[in-house]
Amino acid sequence: MPAIQTDGLTKDYAIGFWRPRPYRALDGITLRVEANEVFGFLGPNGAGKTTTLKLLMQLIYPTSGSISILGRPAGDLEVRRRVGFLPEAPYFYDYLTAEELLTYFAGLFGIRNPERRKRVGDLLDRVGIGGERRLPMRKFSKGMLQRVGLAQALINDPEVVLLDEPMSGLDPIGRRDVRDIILSLRDRGCTVFFSSHILSDAETLCSRVGILVGGKMVAMGSLSEMLAFKVAGWELVVAGIDPATLATLGAVVRGVAPMADGRCTVDLVPECEPERVIAAVHDRGGRLVSLNPLRTTLEDVFIERVKASQAAAPAGRFMPEG
Amino acid sequence: MSADADRLSGRPDRRQAIAALVVSALLVTAALGLQAVRETHYRIAPVDATLLYVESGASANRLALSYHALLADVYWIRAIQYYGDTRLSTSSTKQYSALYPLLDLATSLDPRFTVAYRFGAMFLAEPFPGGPGRVDLAITLLNKGLAAEPAKWQYAQDAGFVYYWWLQDYKQAAMWFDKASRIQGAPWWLRSLAATTLVQGGDRPSSRVLWMQLYETAENDWIRTTSRLRLAQLDALDEIEQLAARVARYQQVAGRFPADWEAVRAAGLLRAIPSDPSGTPYLLDATQPGGVTIARSSKLYPLPPQFARKAGPPS
Amino acid sequence: MARVILLVAYHVFKESVRDKVLYNLVLFATLMISASYLVGQLTAGQDIKIIKDLGLAASAVFGLFIAVFIGVGLVWKEVDRRSVYNVLVKPLRRHHFIAGKFIGLALTLLANLAVMAAAVYLVLAVMAWTQPVLAAAALVDAPVVDPNLLKAFLLIYVQLLVVTALALFFSTFSSPMLSAALTFGLYVVGHFNADLAHFENVVQSRAAAQLARALYYLLPNLAPFDVKAAVVHGQAVPAGYVLLTTGYGFLYAAAVVGLAMLVFARRDFK
Repeated sequence: MPAIQTDGLTKDYAIGFWRPRPYRALDGITLRVEANEVFGFLGPNGAGKTTTLKLLMQLIYPTSGSISILGRPAGDLEVRRRVGFLPEAPYFYDYLTAEELLTYFAGLFGIRNPERRKRVGDLLDRVGIGGERRLPMRKFSKGMLQRVGLAQALINDPEVVLLDEPMSGLDPIGRRDVRDIILSLRDRGCTVFFSSHILSDAETLCSRVGILVGGKMVAMGSLSEMLAFKVAGWELVVAGIDPATLATLGAVVRGVAPMADGRCTVDLVPECEPERVIAAVHDRGGRLVSLNPLRTTLEDVFIERVKASQAAAPAGRFMPEG
Repeated sequence: MSADADRLSGRPDRRQAIAALVVSALLVTAALGLQAVRETHYRIAPVDATLLYVESGASANRLALSYHALLADVYWIRAIQYYGDTRLSTSSTKQYSALYPLLDLATSLDPRFTVAYRFGAMFLAEPFPGGPGRVDLAITLLNKGLAAEPAKWQYAQDAGFVYYWWLQDYKQAAMWFDKASRIQGAPWWLRSLAATTLVQGGDRPSSRVLWMQLYETAENDWIRTTSRLRLAQLDALDEIEQLAARVARYQQVAGRFPADWEAVRAAGLLRAIPSDPSGTPYLLDATQPGGVTIARSSKLYPLPPQFARKAGPPS
Repeated sequence: MARVILLVAYHVFKESVRDKVLYNLVLFATLMISASYLVGQLTAGQDIKIIKDLGLAASAVFGLFIAVFIGVGLVWKEVDRRSVYNVLVKPLRRHHFIAGKFIGLALTLLANLAVMAAAVYLVLAVMAWTQPVLAAAALVDAPVVDPNLLKAFLLIYVQLLVVTALALFFSTFSSPMLSAALTFGLYVVGHFNADLAHFENVVQSRAAAQLARALYYLLPNLAPFDVKAAVVHGQAVPAGYVLLTTGYGFLYAAAVVGLAMLVFARRDFK
């Protein structure tokens, strides 16, 4: 049973007051997230990622299409018991402390003391909120609110976690912490679905990704499928040999760039055999420092799909009138 | 958004929305039911103090900000409700004490509130228990109206009328009719009415003329209705006299007071059981002068006493 | 279900406590105490009545402001700042949320009115104790520390529940400014409601009279909740009257809260 599944999910809005024009925010989204996956939901700003997440949590209602989470429809209370949600740039209550907020939400799940107290304490530790947990949240920075948000998303020990831009507002330490939390969730058997426009996070965390552009899914699949791990070239770093000598290696060398400390970066064509090039360098008196394959990155795929999508639908998402 | 999509997504669909609206409507209906029960069994607020909120016209004017006319309407509606409720009340200690203040407030807030002046005067003058019987207040109100709008001859006519009908002060009445007739735009007949009043005063024909005029120029349903009522009462008085003559004839013939109308009819003095203009049969009552009187249950009861006794045969 | 509703309600109450709404109680208490002192210095004899009038009127006004100003933000604020997202994704239905909000504000109002009533009674008790001559004179109308005042307070409270329900309803879809205007508007119209029933006596048009009658039934009839004058003058306010009026208030408020639930359950959140 897939953890999350949507089928032809469509959301239209009526824009304008006097003669509302329908605006298609999401167009026939069909996606499938298997249990224990980490799924990255990617797309440029305004693509409809947040809209999708809100539909999944029933904060807005679909125009057509269906949603099922853990095999049940989106509105089911049982689903909400087993799912955690972190909205984008979360905002809580000025008058409550972080501890009180988590206690409140734990109460909504029916978690009682002493379990409740323990969970609240542990989660706040885990997200890195220390003594501030007793301060009213009106004093919290964006990063701290983000951490509280993550904590409240996990208060019910969910099987599925939906995160909308979980890294936003965090400094590098915070981002690493969130990354670690997501990985530990995966290790514990949770399914994690998060949206982001930071592609490097997706590359390191996800097993599968979907790319949303202009309300449409333009790509979906495992990273290995999408990136095809095809080598686009090789980056060789050598020492003890000068650029002129390197040029004699032949057509395999696409470019040479000297570095500050006597090393050179050599850009090789993909078809070459790197072992032979290293041997040739060695013959000419050089030394290998490092060898890196150049692969298509997720960013390349992303930009290519965005461009293709924009070319296909220049009119945008306003539906024809009538 | 289709009903199917609603159902699948958990959004309350059209049917559930209608059910919710129906439940709300039922709750409101139940609330109204309780309210109705309360209204039949209890009446709480002490009428005088709470109705007015404000004691004087001047302060009302200050408080009303720019909504004078609207507030005047509110007090006017209250005045009618108050009058009606008090009139229908069977309490022995009922009073109309708040009627004048309410009318005063309404006309202070809106000095051109014609119907408030005319209605007000008419029913302030109405004698107890149908009204407070305060002729003086009626005149005061009409004077107030004239002060605000001197061109309103109707107020002067109404004042003359109050003197004529309720006080039988024909001199004053004639003076007011005369005053009214001098106002620009007054109808021609006011002048002759002034003259007639001075000379003939309390007779039915001139009264009839007056009420007819009032009826025809009435701007309002009540004034029309009241005029019609008065005319019917005058007719009833005429009819009573005619019937009294027949009864007198019967007494001459039979030597005693008739037992019922049937006897009079059998004696050939009547075609049928006589009814007053409102359709209620007249009563034979040996204790009344003339032997004929109007039934208590009649809509025309009580007949205006100032015209009840008339010397001489009917004209 | 009751647990989540009460949790939401508890947090409305908690917010109002921390939001310094309580300061108005301090203000009220100060007002009452200074008024009782000043009145003693200025008037000749009507003190007790004035204290009662002032106490009841001020309670009604303060209560009204609490009901409206907290009520119109109850839902709107959460939606506007998107804190509502976090609660609605928890296992509770949208109408539980609305119920909790209403009960929370009802509790806040109850606490406020209870304190204000206690303050009024305290001032009256002190006056009765320190000025027995005045107290004896006032007995013409009603006892100084009159338990019947509670009837007036109770009806003020129920009336405020109706106002709260209206404010909450508007809060589910309209901004605080507009909601406050509409709620106050209905409050004023509610006091003149009885006049609408007699409209047919004054208007010529049949349609207008029928419209007025329909509005008379639909709009809240708030004037009967005002028994302040009766209680102060020592007139009897029958228990049956209080019961029926309270019943009307509860049912009407329930109907409006129901509508609020419907609107809230069907809407999207931006």
